[in-house]
Amino acid sequence: MEIMTSNTETIPGFRITKSLGVATGSTVRAKHIGKDILAGLKNIVGGELKAYTELLMEARTEALGRMMMDAAQRGANAVVNVRFATSSVAGGAAELFAYGTAVIAEQE
Amino acid sequence: MAQQNYSLTELLLLLNKSDYMYDFLTSTPIWLLILYGLFFVFVAFFPLAFIYSMLFSWLHQSGRMKKLLAREQKVAGIVGGDNIHTLSNPINLGEISKCGLVMTNITVSPSWWQLFLGNIKSIFGGQIQSYDKVLAYGRAEVMQRLREQALGEGWSEVINVRVETSMVMNKVKGGQQNKIGTLEFLAYGTGIR
Repeated sequence: MEIMTSNTETIPGFRITKSLGVATGSTVRAKHIGKDILAGLKNIVGGELKAYTELLMEARTEALGRMMMDAAQRGANAVVNVRFATSSVAGGAAELFAYGTAVIAEQE
Repeated sequence: MAQQNYSLTELLLLLNKSDYMYDFLTSTPIWLLILYGLFFVFVAFFPLAFIYSMLFSWLHQSGRMKKLLAREQKVAGIVGGDNIHTLSNPINLGEISKCGLVMTNITVSPSWWQLFLGNIKSIFGGQIQSYDKVLAYGRAEVMQRLREQALGEGWSEVINVRVETSMVMNKVKGGQQNKIGTLEFLAYGTGIR
């Protein structure tokens, strides 16, 4: 069963019938030292640092996936009001955290 | 004063005649040679990189902005307006069968030259134009990526779009942020169809 995710409080066109608590997912990632050096070189001319962009996106997707697994274990079919939080752990490692309310939503 | 003009081959012959280089290379241990090499690379690298940054970062930047503008116009042509907005209810209310989170991000940093300008400007205060450009580009680019991703994944509309800024990739040294100035922009919203 596919879980719907939304960052709105209600899903338009759906009615929320039951709340199943807060579903959370988090991951801690650090960057590769080679990529770090290459990003340092790219930094000379500025602009996008692709290595970091990809790393953060992968980490965020993983955190979101874990959150959805948590919601699935609770028996939900949707997660509403999803938020992201980030924090920087020592040594360039980043923690990415996704959380939302696991609910059962029915189509109107 | 008589000036001697050596051709390149003559210079090389002169170098070969003097055994100084040969003696230097054979008498010094290899690790010291590597150390000397690294030292010269670093001494030459930083000024050269700085000059490159000074001369060419504007070129890279204007190229990026032009490409972004072209992409924005292309998407506007397909959608006929804008397919992302910050309202929590859809504008074109039809039958909604599915929703899902759409998110994109970008990490941007100012160039060395821009950092240098910004550091000088921050002594006097006021608007720092070099950082302004970088941040404006980052925000515009991340919004454009959200539009493109929504089109690619087949969402008809993206509602409740939020743009967040974080500095997660910066190392924390004694409570202070490092000076590279890397910023991450995250744009996300709910795609509906």
